[in-house]
Amino acid sequence: MRISLEVIKDKCRQQKITLSELLKQAGVSRNAFYTLAREDSVLPKSIRAIAKNLNISPSEFLTEDNQEMEKMKLLLKKVDDIAKKYKKIDRDNIRHTLLLMSEPPIECLRRALTRGQKPHIHQK
Amino acid sequence: MGKNLIFTKNEIRFLRELVRLKVDFMIIGLSAAALQKAPVVTQDVDLWFADLADPQLTKALKKVKSIYIAPMGNNPPMFAGDAVKLFDIVTHVHRLGKYAEVKKKAIKIPLDDFKVSVLPLELIIKSKQASGRTKDKLVLPVLKDVLKTIKSEKQ
Repeated sequence: MRISLEVIKDKCRQQKITLSELLKQAGVSRNAFYTLAREDSVLPKSIRAIAKNLNISPSEFLTEDNQEMEKMKLLLKKVDDIAKKYKKIDRDNIRHTLLLMSEPPIECLRRALTRGQKPHIHQK
Repeated sequence: MGKNLIFTKNEIRFLRELVRLKVDFMIIGLSAAALQKAPVVTQDVDLWFADLADPQLTKALKKVKSIYIAPMGNNPPMFAGDAVKLFDIVTHVHRLGKYAEVKKKAIKIPLDDFKVSVLPLELIIKSKQASGRTKDKLVLPVLKDVLKTIKSEKQ
């Protein structure tokens, strides 16, 4: 995996800053940046070795935490806590209820009615 | 997600008129459970009225170009009209007692720019346990899990 200069320059244009300004703000010297940009891979050797031995691309096991992921982790933690508290409770019921708790009541009713009017969508 | 085309302004307008004209009613059954965040499926919105002969109910129906049809033979009372197609009239709820007593326990839930009275989840479970119908028995575990989840979240 290498740095795409074009993507970085494009992002700078979108954010109305020059590449020099970006590097200054990021605290990265021009030398260091262009050295990295010339590299065939910016990933550490160990990561490339793991990928090579698995015969996959490093992108398949490198993940980026994002807001949605954090929300889902929090929700699943709650599901775990509630499931520990009550024997025989269905984890899907907990998860669906928690998800609906962030929806306005009218939307919850619409979902229930929409599914009720289209029973075929529940058939496996 | 696709656009919801169900329970749109027509149905909301009917409920708003009922509230505006001070018709004494509450939403019960699985629609009431859905409003309380239960992940359930239902085909209609069950309404329980204090008095089906209330002239204000007739006015609300008229506002949405609909009518009330009195019970005939084995057919229960019902509404007719585009705006009220999704609503069913319920005249008795298992094991809950008289309307006036149950209404005191109803909770208010915001819908659009007004609030409606809704049968609490605990009482929905109680009535479904008493009804003995297969479809009610099937949904009971879900409703009980929802109640536990909501209680845990409130703690």
